[in-house]
Formats: sequence, structure tokens, C-alpha cells
Amino acid sequence: MSPRKAASQSQAEKKGESLLPEAVAGPEEIRVQQAYGDARERVGVDRDLDAVDLVEIGEDTMELNMGPQHPSTHGVLRLVLNLEGETVRECRPDIGFLHTGFEKSFESHTYQQCIPLTDRMDYLAPPINNLGFSLAAEKLLGVEVPPRGQYIRVIMAELARIGSHLIWFGTHAMDLGATTPFLYAWREREAILDINELVSGVRMMTSFIRVGGLMADVPQEFGPMIEQVLATFPKAIDEYELLITKNPIWRDRTIGLGVISAEDALAYGLTGPCLRGSGVPYDLRKARPYSSYDHFEFDVPVGSNGDVYDRYLIRMQEMRESLRIIRQAYENLPSGPVNTLDRRVARPPRNEINTSMESLIYHFKLVTEGMQVPAGQVYHAVESPRGELGFYMVSDGGNRPYRCKVRGPSFSNLAALPHMVRGELIADVVAVVGSIDITLGDVDR
Amino acid sequence: MTEAGAGREEILGATDSADRTSGVPPRAGTVDGSRAAQLLERVMPGVILETREEHGELILQVDRSRLVEVCTLLSHDDGARYRLPVMVTAVDWLEREPRFDVVYELYSVDYNDRVRLVVQVPEHDPVVPTLEKVFPGMDWHERETFDLFGISFAGHHDLRRLLLPEDWEGHPLRKDYVSFGEPVAFTHNLEWALAPQDRPEQMPGSTR
Repeated sequence: MSPRKAASQSQAEKKGESLLPEAVAGPEEIRVQQAYGDARERVGVDRDLDAVDLVEIGEDTMELNMGPQHPSTHGVLRLVLNLEGETVRECRPDIGFLHTGFEKSFESHTYQQCIPLTDRMDYLAPPINNLGFSLAAEKLLGVEVPPRGQYIRVIMAELARIGSHLIWFGTHAMDLGATTPFLYAWREREAILDINELVSGVRMMTSFIRVGGLMADVPQEFGPMIEQVLATFPKAIDEYELLITKNPIWRDRTIGLGVISAEDALAYGLTGPCLRGSGVPYDLRKARPYSSYDHFEFDVPVGSNGDVYDRYLIRMQEMRESLRIIRQAYENLPSGPVNTLDRRVARPPRNEINTSMESLIYHFKLVTEGMQVPAGQVYHAVESPRGELGFYMVSDGGNRPYRCKVRGPSFSNLAALPHMVRGELIADVVAVVGSIDITLGDVDR
Repeated sequence: MTEAGAGREEILGATDSADRTSGVPPRAGTVDGSRAAQLLERVMPGVILETREEHGELILQVDRSRLVEVCTLLSHDDGARYRLPVMVTAVDWLEREPRFDVVYELYSVDYNDRVRLVVQVPEHDPVVPTLEKVFPGMDWHERETFDLFGISFAGHHDLRRLLLPEDWEGHPLRKDYVSFGEPVAFTHNLEWALAPQDRPEQMPGSTR
């Protein structure tokens, strides 16, 4: 039996025990802490030094610093690994390298000015961030977007989901040594970026979805480009699956790795494909449909084993489901306005400004002051490619959010990493990190 | 290992999936959190200090001394099962007394219900009990709140700064934290802008 299999077996035994209450500050934890303290004293460092600092703690164990500049950490994530041979005894993530203080910035920007800031959080799926922020603000305002706007939002969000999953697919496969999928994934993603460019003028940070609707209606060329995506992507995804899904090397490296039970996944606050991989069918698009997701027919893929391979299969299947949603939304795309007609929120059309004094005043107030949002608080969550992306927004009645907390899905998912990699081999840490699919912009915000 | 995984992709890749989507229970009512409110009223009468409904969500204000009890009940009771810790954060109401709202959002996968708990803490004693024993996932959320608001979580096993460097001064999301600009020395505010040892003997540009 290979060491990794032995390790994952012992880990499975460990996970059979009850859920964490004791483990959090149990005797084992205290013993480890004391061992660190002793080791620090031995090498002449302060006993109470920051626990993520590197300390050699014995002849058989060592601490290894992985990141922040490690290519497999997908950004600037630092993992301090406590190793016994090649087996990970403990993993301590160190985050915050990309902390930008968006939540503080929100408080000094008007609602529309906040939209570009949300782009830069989960930078692989900006439209979904825009959507979450806009829906939260619209809930506070009591505004509904017309059907056409909602459908285009869905199309853009699902395209972003596919684009994000493609990047995950390429980098995850490359982490495990398969270099070909990376290039294929980038090739296909190009079509999505082209659509972004067409509708918003920008390829990545689109800011296309805004409070009250969209930046603008989509141009004529939008239809043919969507049709092109719908025609080529199913074949492309088949091709990816042909490369990877039944590949014996891939399966040997991913099946049974990084297992997390449904109970643990919930307790750690996991959402998205990571939670569904453990068998919990929680998808916000189904559980509490927003932006007319309830008009579309799609399935939520759910795994059973909670390992890296299940999360892989789920994301691959999710791309197909996203294509189904895009097809339905595109074929049934209603006509009409894309922005709300509420003058408190959306600017009046240009020709009205020329003829109506009232419209001119609304336009002036909106452009100079921004919209006034009634006092109150709201939590609105959307299903991002990584899980539940929530916006907790508090307004004091002014034109800027009094407080806006972003619940980044990667943040909670990454917090469960130490639990998933305990007892695995060091080479498998990159596989588990890849399977969680973190975006550091989303973790650190 | 390979045998154990055989056929799994077919299961997942199948297009029929009636029981896969029916796993989501329909929502009980229109107001989120009513399940939690009813349960708390029944089992721990008087624990809810104030109930408010905003945008279809109930906001339950509880006392911090009973927070752990409340969350244990909400997460373990078969009629509620709020098992998913969604987030922890705080809101700084600078002029209000008590100054801070600590906000907990919980979700019940089994009943598709949310609940928001609010605990008010004063500025001179910004401490709430930790919930990481109930939800391990609260660990980082509590550290982040400690980092950005300076609210302590009593009993937390490792309450250090999470996002900011260890030696950062202040808590940026407090409303009295100056977030932009650094003090610039002008002749009229030299004493405010510079520490005594940094002040020049003669003010630049001064004719006196």
C-alpha cells in the first residue's frame, strides 16, 4: 500500500470521530502548541512568536513555507506546512497579502461607484460580483429590473461561471502535471472574454451589471456570438473530459484525496461545488432563485464522496448546466427595456433630458449625488462559481453604503483547507488547493 | 482505489436527475428566520430582546451572555438545524450606545431558512463569546471581525489579526478610523502632523 493511501486511510479513521468541538482546543492542540514553544526556545527565538513563523520542531518533522509566491497557490497565499517526512501534519494558511480594504472603500463611494470595486474581488467572475451587489442594493431600494435585464444578467453570469470554471480546470490540471488542458481552456475562454468586450468594452473587469439594470442593452452581434458559444462549448467540454476524466493518472491522484464529510463541510461553512461534492445539494440558484433563475430548467450536480475527484466532476457538469441555462435564456430573451424605469435609480433616456425639466433634474441629481437608498439592512447572496457570495448591506438613508460586508465564498472554503489536507502528502496539497478553487481577491478582499 | 471510483462520472453526468434537484426543500414561509424565532420563544422564552423584520428577513437581537446557548440550540435542534455558519461581522454605530452590532448570519440547509442574530456590545467592553466550538467555520470570520473592528471573541483559541499585518495599529472598519491620507505638515498644523523630535527648529518658509 502506498504511503498516500495509508495516510488517507488513517485520516478517514480520524474523521470518523465526532465533529470538532473538542478538537479545536483539545489536549492534542495544547501539546502541539507547547512543542512549538519548546522548539522556539531551543533555537533561540521568542517563545510566543507568531504561530505562522517557521520553526524547526524536531528531527523527524520540519516546517515548510509554501507561497506566497508559489504558482500552485493561485495567487498570493502562504501555507505553512508542518511535515513529518512527506506527510502533512498540520497546515496553517496565512492570508491577507491581497487585502485591499474594499469594505472600507465602499463606505466612501456611491452605490454605482462601488460596482467597479466589486469587479476586483473575485476577479475571475466579475459579473457575478456585480450581480450580488446590485441585487442587494435593489432589495434595499425596492426596485425590480425588467425581464430582459434579468435574462441578460443571467446570461452574463453563467458565461462568467463557465469562464471561471475554465480557468480552474486549466490551472488545476496543470498543478497535477497535465499541461495540455491549460492551453485548451484558455482558448475557449477567449470567446467569453470577447463577449464581455462586445457588451461592455472591457474584457475582464466589465462592470456591466449595475444597480437598477445593466450598463446598456446588448448590441446586435451579441446573438451570433452566443450561438457560437452554444455550438462550440459542448464539444470542447467533451474534449476536456476525454483528456482528464478517465485518465488513470488523474484518477489515482484525485480519488479519495482531500475528503470532507457533509457534516464537516457544513460546520466549516463550505458552499458551492465543495459542499455539493460532499453530497449537500445547496445551490442558491435553486434554493432561493434570484434574477429569474426559477424560469430555467437545470440540474444541480451533487457528489457523494467529497473528494477532489467529485469536485472536479461537479464543476465539469456545472459548465454543461450553465450552457443549458444560457440556451434557455437566449432563446426566450424578452424584448423591452433592460433598466428599471424608477427615476430614483436609473438615469432618464437622453431624448427626455432635452425635453423635460424634471428628467434633467433627476439626471443631474443621479450623476452628482448618486441614488439615495432608504435606511435598512439586507443580506443578499448569489451563487458564485465558488459558492455563496453574500452582500450584507446597511444603509443609513444616504447615497453611500453605511456598511457593506462581503461574504466571500473562497474565504470560508479556504478555512477548511487545514482539515482537508491533514494526513495527506505534500504533493497532494496543491491538488486539494486547486480543487477548492480559491481566488485570493475573494479571500482577502 | 480506481475500482471504487468506477462509474462515478456516469452517475454525475447523467441528464435525468429528479432526486438531485428535489434535494432542496421549498421555503416554509415568506419571512426568513421565523422558524428560529418560534423555536427560541418556545424553548428559551425571553431570550430574544427585540425582533425586527426588514426586507423579508427577521433580525433577532439576543443578549451576548446567552449567545452560545442560542446558537447551540439553533444548530442542533431537529426543528431548526441552522448548521451552516454564513458569516460574522459587525456594524459600528458611532454615536449610538451601545456602539457595536455584532451580526451573525446562519443558514439551515435542511429547512432552507436563514436567520440573523444581532448582539449589541458597548465600546468600553467590546467582547462577545466565541462560537467556534459550535461552528468551526466561525474561526476566521471572528478573527477578521477582531482584526477590522477590534471586537474580541472570548475563548477563541487563536485570536490574532487575519488580514492586516501583526503590527498594524487601529481597526480600519471603525467609523472613527481615518482611512485616507497621511498627516501632511503645513505651517499651521506642524504640531499635529509631526512628533516633537521630527519638527524642524525653524519652520520651512517661515519669515519669523
